[in-house]
Amino acid sequence: MSKQLFVNPDEVRKSGWIKFHDIPVNQYNKTIEEEKANYTVEDFVRIYRDMVIIREFETMLQLVKTRGEYNGVAYDYPGPAHLSIGQEAAAVGQAFHLDKDDFIFGSHRSHGEILAKGLSAIEKMSDDELMDIMKKLWDGRTLKVVEESKKDYTSVKELAMDFLLYGALAEIFGRETGFNKGLGGSMHAFFTPFGIYPNNAIVGGSAGIAMGAALFKKVNRKKGIVIANIGDGSMGCGPVWEAMNMAAMDQFKYLWEEGYRGGLPIIFNFFNNHYGMGGQTCGETMAYQMLARVGAGINPEQMHAERVDGYNPLAVIDAIKRKKQLLLENKGPVLLDVVTYRFCGHSPSDASTYRTNEEVDAWRQHDSIVAYRKQIIDAGITSQEQLDAILDDVKQRIDRIYRLAIDEEKSPRMNLVANPDAIASLMFSNQRIEKMEDRECEVLIPKEENPRLQQIKRKVRVGIQDGKPVPKSRVYQLRDALFEAILDKFYVDPTLIAYGEDNRDWGGAFAVYRGLTEALPYHRLFNAPISEAAIVASAVGYAMCGGRVIAELMYADFMGRAGDEIFNQLSKWQAMSAGLLKMPVVLRISVGSKYGAQHSQDWTSLVAHIPGLKVVFPATPYDAKGLMNSALMGTDPVVFFESQRIYDVGEMFHPEGVPEGYYEVPIGEPDIKKEGRDITIMTAGATLYRALEAAKILETKYGMSAEVIDARSIVPFNYEKVIESVKKTGKIVITGDACERASYLKDFAHNITELAFDYLDAPPVVVGARNWITPAHELERFFFPQPDWIIDAIHEKIVPLKGHVPSNNFTANEQLRRARLGV
Amino acid sequence: MATPVIMPRQGQTVESCIITKWHKKKGDRVKVGDLLFSYETDKAAFDEEAKAEGTLLEIFFDEGDDVPVLATVCVIGQEGEDISEFMPKDASAAEDVMVEEQQSIAEGQGEMEIQSSAVVQEGNRIKISPRARNLAERVGVDYRQATPTGPNGRIIERDIRQLLERGQLVTPAAREQYMGTEGMPIGGTGIGGRVTTADLQSAKGEAHYEMPQPSVQGIKAKEADYEEIKLSNIRKVIAKTMHQSLANTAQLTIHTSFDATEILAFRKKVKEYGERLGLANITLNDIILYAVSRTLLNHKALNAHFLDDKMLLFNHVHLGVAVDTERGLMVPTIYNADTKSLDEISREAKELVEACRKGSINPDYLKGGTFTVTNLGSLGVEAFTPILNPPQTGILGVNAIVQRVKEVDGKIVTYPSIGLSLTFDHRAVDGAPAARFLQELKANLENFSIFLAK
Repeated sequence: MSKQLFVNPDEVRKSGWIKFHDIPVNQYNKTIEEEKANYTVEDFVRIYRDMVIIREFETMLQLVKTRGEYNGVAYDYPGPAHLSIGQEAAAVGQAFHLDKDDFIFGSHRSHGEILAKGLSAIEKMSDDELMDIMKKLWDGRTLKVVEESKKDYTSVKELAMDFLLYGALAEIFGRETGFNKGLGGSMHAFFTPFGIYPNNAIVGGSAGIAMGAALFKKVNRKKGIVIANIGDGSMGCGPVWEAMNMAAMDQFKYLWEEGYRGGLPIIFNFFNNHYGMGGQTCGETMAYQMLARVGAGINPEQMHAERVDGYNPLAVIDAIKRKKQLLLENKGPVLLDVVTYRFCGHSPSDASTYRTNEEVDAWRQHDSIVAYRKQIIDAGITSQEQLDAILDDVKQRIDRIYRLAIDEEKSPRMNLVANPDAIASLMFSNQRIEKMEDRECEVLIPKEENPRLQQIKRKVRVGIQDGKPVPKSRVYQLRDALFEAILDKFYVDPTLIAYGEDNRDWGGAFAVYRGLTEALPYHRLFNAPISEAAIVASAVGYAMCGGRVIAELMYADFMGRAGDEIFNQLSKWQAMSAGLLKMPVVLRISVGSKYGAQHSQDWTSLVAHIPGLKVVFPATPYDAKGLMNSALMGTDPVVFFESQRIYDVGEMFHPEGVPEGYYEVPIGEPDIKKEGRDITIMTAGATLYRALEAAKILETKYGMSAEVIDARSIVPFNYEKVIESVKKTGKIVITGDACERASYLKDFAHNITELAFDYLDAPPVVVGARNWITPAHELERFFFPQPDWIIDAIHEKIVPLKGHVPSNNFTANEQLRRARLGV
Repeated sequence: MATPVIMPRQGQTVESCIITKWHKKKGDRVKVGDLLFSYETDKAAFDEEAKAEGTLLEIFFDEGDDVPVLATVCVIGQEGEDISEFMPKDASAAEDVMVEEQQSIAEGQGEMEIQSSAVVQEGNRIKISPRARNLAERVGVDYRQATPTGPNGRIIERDIRQLLERGQLVTPAAREQYMGTEGMPIGGTGIGGRVTTADLQSAKGEAHYEMPQPSVQGIKAKEADYEEIKLSNIRKVIAKTMHQSLANTAQLTIHTSFDATEILAFRKKVKEYGERLGLANITLNDIILYAVSRTLLNHKALNAHFLDDKMLLFNHVHLGVAVDTERGLMVPTIYNADTKSLDEISREAKELVEACRKGSINPDYLKGGTFTVTNLGSLGVEAFTPILNPPQTGILGVNAIVQRVKEVDGKIVTYPSIGLSLTFDHRAVDGAPAARFLQELKANLENFSIFLAK
């Protein structure tokens, strides 16, 4: 949505044709003689060496998995090994022209890519740079193991090669000396100093994350390009299409400011080995016939799509060289269909029932290593003997690295007995970083001139004045509080960007961002496509590269569209990197109201269940601003829930009003909103106000003094205040808008039961929403907890109230009946 | 206009009574004086008669129900009359009383309200919240005495606080053993009604009784070769009191006998001339009561209450008189017996005995005794060991008249002799002082006409 773009009926109704241009298919046709001008002898030989290293490395894994030994040394490795034996030329070809500033993201089958990329980076780096990088990893511990394994390293590059192989293999074998302390493993090994970013065990998972990395490079003017290495099977995944579209959005061309124009610098590199596990993509599960065709469906440039012969390293090198140039000219994104084939199965347990031996044999006849070797010998570039010597060296090297990586003493696993918190301490980075980079923030106007800020200045910063509620038109609302915190950060952290659906111009569907459009250039605030998966995945990629993001999902109900991105990516990468990556993402999610089953459910419980996410749900302007400030100061992913029911509430609990300046509300600390003696009511989110109503009724009608605690945060959560309260009152109701079954409300209740059992006068009682669909607004009072539900639940389950006649059924029989029916 | 029938308040300390039997059912015609229902307290049993004529319109409580005093039990009136105003509210009358008490306690700090839900006890289990249990243990309250007002008959914190207000406490030693005695109703016999370890022991003994089975094969008793009877409230109280008496005191019995020639002669005269003089039918037992009431004040340690760390020595004699009734042993009290004439004692004793046998005794007469006299003489018992009624320190058993011989002037003659068995608490009194009391009593009885003249 932008007023600059005119939707012209004369144009859009005009008849005509969409024209496509031809998509190159294996058009590389240079001879080795021609290529001699482009490569040194060493280059030619190194290409061979790198392919052989990968082949031997994976053969070693194959033997360990299938025979339990390599070179007579037994080892039991129970973990995954998705090997790419046969695909080496594609990996080495891709890496040839990439340096450490070019980032690759991979898949579950990416051992070859990380080794090729690492070897290429080592080749291009200085000795000092390499030593510096190696010494930094785990305070030099990994380097030390490698250094001590061999006395006579002739060069830093030799050492660095072993460091790369050992770091990767120790990681695969789950050793603490691995690149990610063994927390990543085979499908996730990575090492960012060499430009190797996370591999992803979710098919297509890297597409959106890599796109976010490319966004980071564009927005922050970083060097290099990004490559998403994904397989042909991933073309069946919606999020991959979302990522390709978002990387190519028209606004890059038409709306973004000068200097930021053009699509994202990313190659969606499909290693097309023709199988998605066992499903044959071409001819069975996909419709494209040739994968490169898809580029034509994305943008007029057809994503510069090409099919490339991945069995010829020189063809791949040629393609990457040309595409990298396009990207540096801001003409991305690019799609590459790199044809290749794996001789090995999907995994060692794969019996290859879906393909014939003839087919595998035919590809073996084309084995790229054999063919390339013959080619460079025939061309007189090198000799049989020289290549044999390389082969011997590689075998010895892999053998040595193998023995080293399985050595329990030199390569121990995490000791969770001696250090039980080893993994726990990595779930969150818990740092305070005011700005992710130190430079000027790009903004359009000085902060003080912001029209929204000036409007807010005229508002009353408390909700009650002279005992009367301040009218909505004049009161400083929760949405104003969020705006203040966010605007503030845009003038502090130059890397901060915000996007989501209808964020720019519209100002966010619920007017939190009104006033931001005027303040920020497009590259810091823009409208995302209706692509929740790409929105969250790109935030993950942006943050892991070193930026800070506020991504927004318009309704909690849309989280399902970003399921993998929230549950597997946003939440896990800090721990899977053993703390090397930070994830400063605030994911704003609005909890709907009045809009029925698919727009009004509170899904806080889903994220509370996933380890690695912080979850907050403020209910007052003071808390909203304070928690947003905390979230934007931290380095962890914070899922920030906001209820549409209370965007317009004023501040009722801080008589001095919401401070204009900066302050923080710590994440994880509940707040007593009203003190009381006889019963505790804990809420999360907008239900706070209904609990307060209930407290009033309890006090006036039943002489019972209720303490009302606002959880404010769901993860992490400090129980101290709650336990103290329960010790005092002996009774607690926990209420919120989440559907009751398996909710975090139940989790609260369970923990309180365990922690305060001896003080309880009745079991903690949960009053959540019904386990139904959310009905029409007019029926919501039968679905979401109401003040009288709370009273009825207290009467029925905690302490009978004299003269109270319940109108809702909270009896044990009803509870049993509902459970039996699953409602 | 329908007439409500309320549960009478039988004595100031009675809070509720159990309905033992309904003699009418809903819809029956009743006349004034018809027996409506029988009920009992923990000490006595009573009958309630109709005081209005009409139809029994509604019955609010069943047999076995524990009914708060002053609560409406049933309604008598004309058929079709509206009785809704008499329906117990969802909270019963007793609970209303509690609310009042509670409210007065809570005044000034916000109202606390109490409402009892039906007491749902599953088997022997008492439902109690962890908080209430902890509070009970900490402050030393016997939570078994609590009236549950939580959901589903659960005892909750406020119920313990209620007990605390009433001062129902447990000794620290008993508290430690408390957890093992889940669900056994225990009455306190310690100071101020505190539950003691002995109470716990006796409660355990009761609870774990098993029918003994012959161990020899082939003669195994047939199943259910016995009759099981439910203990009445009174029986339970007697059982408990008796056992507690033996468990908690150092009682022993000494025996003597006296020559009853003179009191038999006196009695004969009363029989002959009493009616004319308007005297009661004075029995031998009355004479003994009289003698005891006069002798005791010279032996104050036996007209006393022993309370562990102190004794109360009474200035007047409140004489307990053991009475055998259908329902069991009852002991009404003749207050200030030492100030009453033989005639007065005799009349009062008869009235009390009669009231006990009819079950109409005012429970206030069933307490407060300072010494007890029990008589098994009419049943031919020659000697026995009465059981003390703590905290009293003495009880006198009166035995049958037997002819004994003695030597008078070198000749063997017979004379009527009555045995006396005095049980006393050695904690309070030593053997010699107790014997001296018996000695004096014996002398007074043998020389009754002179004694009467005193």
